[in-house]
Formats: sequence, structure tokens, C-alpha cells
Amino acid sequence: MSSRKVWLAVGLVSLASTVLLLAGFGYAVRDLLAPGASVSFRTEAPEPAASPVPAEGYRIVALGDSLTKGTGDATGEGYVKQAAALLEEASGKQVEIINNLAIGGMRADQLSERLNEDKSFARALTQANLILLSIGGNDLFQFARTGTGSGAAVIDLELASKRLEEGLSRLSEVIERIREVNADAKLVYIGLYNPFYDIPELRSGSLAVQDWNREAFRILHEKGNAVLVPTSDLFEETIAFHLSSDHFHPNHAGYGKIAERLVQSLVP
Amino acid sequence: MLNLLPLIQNETLKVWKKKRFYVIVLILVVLIPVFTYAQMKMAQSSEDKDWRSKLLQQITDYQNALSSDRIPEEWKTQRRVMVQQLQYYLDHDVNPNSPNAVTFTRGFLDNSITLFIPLMVLAVASDLVSGERTTGTIKMLLTRPVRRWKVLMSKAITLMLYVSLIVVTTAVLSYLLSGIFFGYHGWNQPVFTGFQLQGSEVDSSQVHAVPQWLYILMQSGLIWFSAMTVALLALMVSVLVRSTAASIVTMMAAIIAGTILANMASSWHSAKYLFAVNLELTNYLEGTPPPIEGMTLPFSLFILAAWSAVSLIVSFVVFTKQDMMN
Repeated sequence: MSSRKVWLAVGLVSLASTVLLLAGFGYAVRDLLAPGASVSFRTEAPEPAASPVPAEGYRIVALGDSLTKGTGDATGEGYVKQAAALLEEASGKQVEIINNLAIGGMRADQLSERLNEDKSFARALTQANLILLSIGGNDLFQFARTGTGSGAAVIDLELASKRLEEGLSRLSEVIERIREVNADAKLVYIGLYNPFYDIPELRSGSLAVQDWNREAFRILHEKGNAVLVPTSDLFEETIAFHLSSDHFHPNHAGYGKIAERLVQSLVP
Repeated sequence: MLNLLPLIQNETLKVWKKKRFYVIVLILVVLIPVFTYAQMKMAQSSEDKDWRSKLLQQITDYQNALSSDRIPEEWKTQRRVMVQQLQYYLDHDVNPNSPNAVTFTRGFLDNSITLFIPLMVLAVASDLVSGERTTGTIKMLLTRPVRRWKVLMSKAITLMLYVSLIVVTTAVLSYLLSGIFFGYHGWNQPVFTGFQLQGSEVDSSQVHAVPQWLYILMQSGLIWFSAMTVALLALMVSVLVRSTAASIVTMMAAIIAGTILANMASSWHSAKYLFAVNLELTNYLEGTPPPIEGMTLPFSLFILAAWSAVSLIVSFVVFTKQDMMN
């Protein structure tokens, strides 16, 4: 190519590029400082309202508080992943965890608000045929968690029984909402335990926990197609082996026991 | 202006004949397939889950990270903003990462604004003047009956032309090459922009969708502006420093220092007056919180323009006054 041709090609192309980029720059600045009207888009191919849930296999959506998230498990598995592995082994069917939507520190009222307002949250639930739920621990023990760990936590048991009623009505709302969104899926609720059983003056907190579990069972029974997995006995005599160092959440072994029980309740 | 044109032609051809631009194209042709391949692997490994579940999981993970006490506050702000943006995409049923050539180009441009594009600009800019000194041709050039400022002006304009060429080439090549793997569709896919940051909250009242092609055009325009700042600074350094190597190293050091600062200096407020911290203009388009509180698009544009203006003035003053000795 002769020099003249190179100059013409390079010169013209780069001049055109400059003009184009300047236009882009001008548009960007204008758009950022004085946003223009939104261009309307046709939404992409509409999703099937409820994606077909395969008859075979388990499709799990887990939601709730730090227990479902797996806080305290050094391996990060929590009971959800361990249960999925055990379930696959025991049933021989395919198990898929679609979502684990648990958020540490979540209370029942926050969860029911989320279920009501967040469409995507509800949409994820419709995909499941097995819903794992743990909620209520923060409603009941929240005030006790301000302490940094063992012993330092001061728990007011009278307050706990006051919280009980309020917490249970929240729980009822959560479960009702879950059933509204997905009536067909099996719902598994992880019962509460008393993380302070080994502190003598707090041992009677177990009474509040048992009251909670009994009422929770009543609620689950009314709404149907649900299982309550008891956990409180795991954290009594053997609490030291099953609780993590934060003295509130289970450790890997503790979650493993919960997962075993969960699977026992689903598969013979 | 008319007698500048032959000078610009001369400069353009000089850069072209030095094969600098070939090298840039070659680097792009090698690197883009690498990134494309990485992206493709990522898309494959997560194909089994649908994107809504993935997005929702991402939101949940961020929210969990937010509840930790050990995470610095500015990091939390960033996460909060991301959560709100992802939620917005989810609510409007738009997949922000659907793999196609246009989305890839958008991501690639976004990631290349801080280091990659400046580096390629330096390949051309850093020896515009110092290169002529190293080879001694500066004397030949200046003994011609042309005023010195015209010589430098022609160099600056040539530089601008090449900067434009580099930005456009990067975009075009990444579209063409990634399209081989992802397909060439996606031009009209909506992208949301206009997230306004008010402290740690996102004001989404101004959020609007633009088609992806327009987004890339805006992005390229902003990249061009920050690349021009780098180019003009490099021109100044090239006038001031005699060796090309020294001039490249100086500029690279400044730019890399800027990206490091942007990552760690959120509490050193006056760092926002440095040019390198302001290079990432596309952040404003995307709605990512700026590295230092109080930075806005007009602010960054002003800072970059000021640095450019100063370096132009210095270049011209020094170049016209300087004694040319080897």
C-alpha cells in the first residue's frame, strides 16, 4: 500500500472514530446529568408461570435464619448441604439445591415481609418441591445474643415467654405465606433448641423452646403437608459436642445430626 | 489549519510505519480469545441453574456479608448498592449477564478502562517526542521551516486520532472475536443506567433502560475521554523526558498507583484530585460507587480536563522553548 493510501485510510477511519466517540461521550454526559426517557422494551419471552417440577428427585429451596445459612459450620456446609447429600444417598433420586435464601439474623416478621414484597423470592419458592425452613430463633433469643459468647449472655426468661406469643403469630404468617406461594411442596421446619442449656440458670429456657415447638407443630399441622424436625434433645446432654464456639450455632457435627434427622423424616 | 494537514499526515504515517498499531492489534487478537474462553467456561459451569436463581443467590450472599461486623463500612456501601441493582434487574426480569458478543464487549471495555486501554495508548504516545530524540530525527524535523508549536500540534492531533482508533478497534475486535463463541446478537438487549448514589442508598428514580448498543457507545465515549487524558499526559512526559523507556515507566507508574489508590484510599479525601483515581468514568454509567466519597461525573470530568489542559500547556511551553541537544 502506498503511503498516500495508508494516510487516507488511517486518517479517515480515525476521524470517523473520533466523531463517533465524541458523540458517544456527549450522549453519555447528557444522559447521566439529565436522564432521558426510558426506551421501552418488550419483555423477553414470558416465563411459564410455574416451571414444571420434575416428578423424580428433590428440588430444594432453603430459607430462614443463620441456622439454615450454616453459621458456625467451619466447612460451610450447614445442615442444608449435608441433608442434600444424605437425601441423595438414601433416596437414590437426584437432589438439587436451587437456592439457599437464608440470611443471618433474620426474624420471622422480616421473612414474611420479604415473602410478601419480593416477587423473586416467591418465584424461587415455586420451583421447589422441598422447602427447608428455620425461623424463630432470633425472635425468641435475639436479646440474648448481644453478649459475646458463653456466660456473658444474659437472658431474661420472662421476656422470652412474652416474645413467644408474638413470635408464634409471626411464624404462622410465614407458613401461611409459603403455602400460598407453593402449596404442593413438602415443608420441613427445623425445630428450635435451647443454646444455653449448659448454663444452669438458663436451662429453663428449654421450657419456652418446647412451648414454641409445640405451637409450631400445631401451626404446621393446620396448614398441612409439613414436617417438624425436632432438634432440642441434640443440644442437652451432648451440647458441648454439637455447638460451635460462638455458643449459639451448631458446629459441623451438630448440623450433621440435624441433617440426619431431616432425611429420616422424609425417606424410610 | 491547512498547512497543518501535511504535518499530521507525516506524523500519522510515522506512527504507522513504526508498526505500533500492529502490535496493539496483535495484543488484542491474542488476549480477547483468552478472555472469551474464560467467560465461556464460566457460562458453561453455571448453565444448569437458571439465572434468576443465581441472581437471587448472589443477592442473598451479599446480604449475608452485610450482616457481618468485620467488614469495612465503605465495602458494605458497595455491596448495598450492588444488591439494589441486582434486585432491580430481577424485578424487571432482565438478565444482566446473558452471554453474547455485545455483553462481552461491554464487560471487556468496562474492565479495560483503568489499565489496558491506557497501556495501549502509551505504546503510541510515549515516544512521540522522546523517540525522535533517541534517534536524533528531532533535529531534522525542527530544521524545517515550520514553527515548533505546529509540529507539536500535529503530534497532538495525530495522537488523538490514534486514541480514537485504539478505542474503536478494541470494541470492534472484542465484538468480532467473542461473537465466534457467543453469537453476534444482543444489540438491543436493555441495560439499566442512571443509578444515582445518595450516600449508601441508590436513588433508582432516574434509572432507565437503554439498548446495549447505545450503552456501548456511551461507554466508549467516556473511555475515549479518559484515554485522551492519559495520552496528553504521556505527551507531556515524552516532551520532558529524553528516553522513551523512562517516559513509559513514569506514566505506567502513575496509572498503576492510581488504581491501587482507588482501591485503598477511600478515607484520604484529597486523593480524588489525582488524575489516575478519576480514570474510571464508566463507573458512573454503571452506578458503581466511586472510590472516594464525593466524586461525581462532572467532578471527574473537570479533574481530567484540568490535568489535560495543564499538560498541554506544559508540553507547548517546554517544547517551543527547549534547546534540542542529544
